[in-house]
Amino acid sequence: MTVRYWEDVQQDEELQPVERTPTEELAIEFFGRDNPTNPAFRDAEIGRQQGFGGALVPGLLKLAWITHFVSAWAGEEGRVRSVRAAYRRPDIAGRPLVLAGRVVDKRVEDGVGVVDLEVVTLAEGQPSVRANVQVELPLREQQP
Amino acid sequence: MTSPEQSLITDEHRAAIGRKSEPIEIVVKEEDARRIRDILGDTDPRWADGTGIAPPYIMATLEPTLPWQMVPRVLPNGILTQTEWRMKRHFRIGERLKAVHQVLDIRDRLGGRYGYSVLITMTTDYFDEAGEHVASTLRTITQFDPKGARGGNEE
Repeated sequence: MTVRYWEDVQQDEELQPVERTPTEELAIEFFGRDNPTNPAFRDAEIGRQQGFGGALVPGLLKLAWITHFVSAWAGEEGRVRSVRAAYRRPDIAGRPLVLAGRVVDKRVEDGVGVVDLEVVTLAEGQPSVRANVQVELPLREQQP
Repeated sequence: MTSPEQSLITDEHRAAIGRKSEPIEIVVKEEDARRIRDILGDTDPRWADGTGIAPPYIMATLEPTLPWQMVPRVLPNGILTQTEWRMKRHFRIGERLKAVHQVLDIRDRLGGRYGYSVLITMTTDYFDEAGEHVASTLRTITQFDPKGARGGNEE
């Protein structure tokens, strides 16, 4: 893992997209087998009864993927400060999701390098989650 | 379900706004951190086994502590439609947190994927053992009647 410095980040810079495929099994594991969750996460028929096209992908699983995606990009001295996600369309288990993102702003706040990013999950090319993520990155000038 | 002629939100539902839960104790568990790390395929050495640090998405494991009896039930089904996590620092494995939940807002929405729906916004604030505010969650739950839902975009 490398260090990403605030000075090296460019506005509109794009993150390398990654693909993830959610499954019912993953949803069950995500919450822990002993924890009760929405049955629509593990049963496609219940998902259909609730008005969706199959087993739902938990929003929190997608949020965790987004957080990991940006955290990995930010490098070993970066830190995710906040993640705000709007779940625009339900995602159905078994359908691949592509995570993509870009830098929308960067600034220094109280001596801390701050970067704002927009991240989306794309299902069949259409955004299903739109997220705004804020990270802290180290400044070169503050390195010993 | 067709749109009701007036709001289904009653004064009793509105009475929940501003109500806070008693502090609920949560322990940041190593097994939860490991399970989610493995699911995500995260090999980041900062929060590997033995470091004592939890990955930031450990927030997801704190969510099921939400006391659902606090959430007014206006319509039969509910789905999470918005979440915000704010973290002031990394969580430590084994640390005990106090979570305080609050209903922030309840409002109607007409149209969209779910037809007539009710949006409930809740917050959770997490405090460490020193009483410092270390993180928060804001979530919006959309309640709907599946008979009124349709496929397609939310917008």
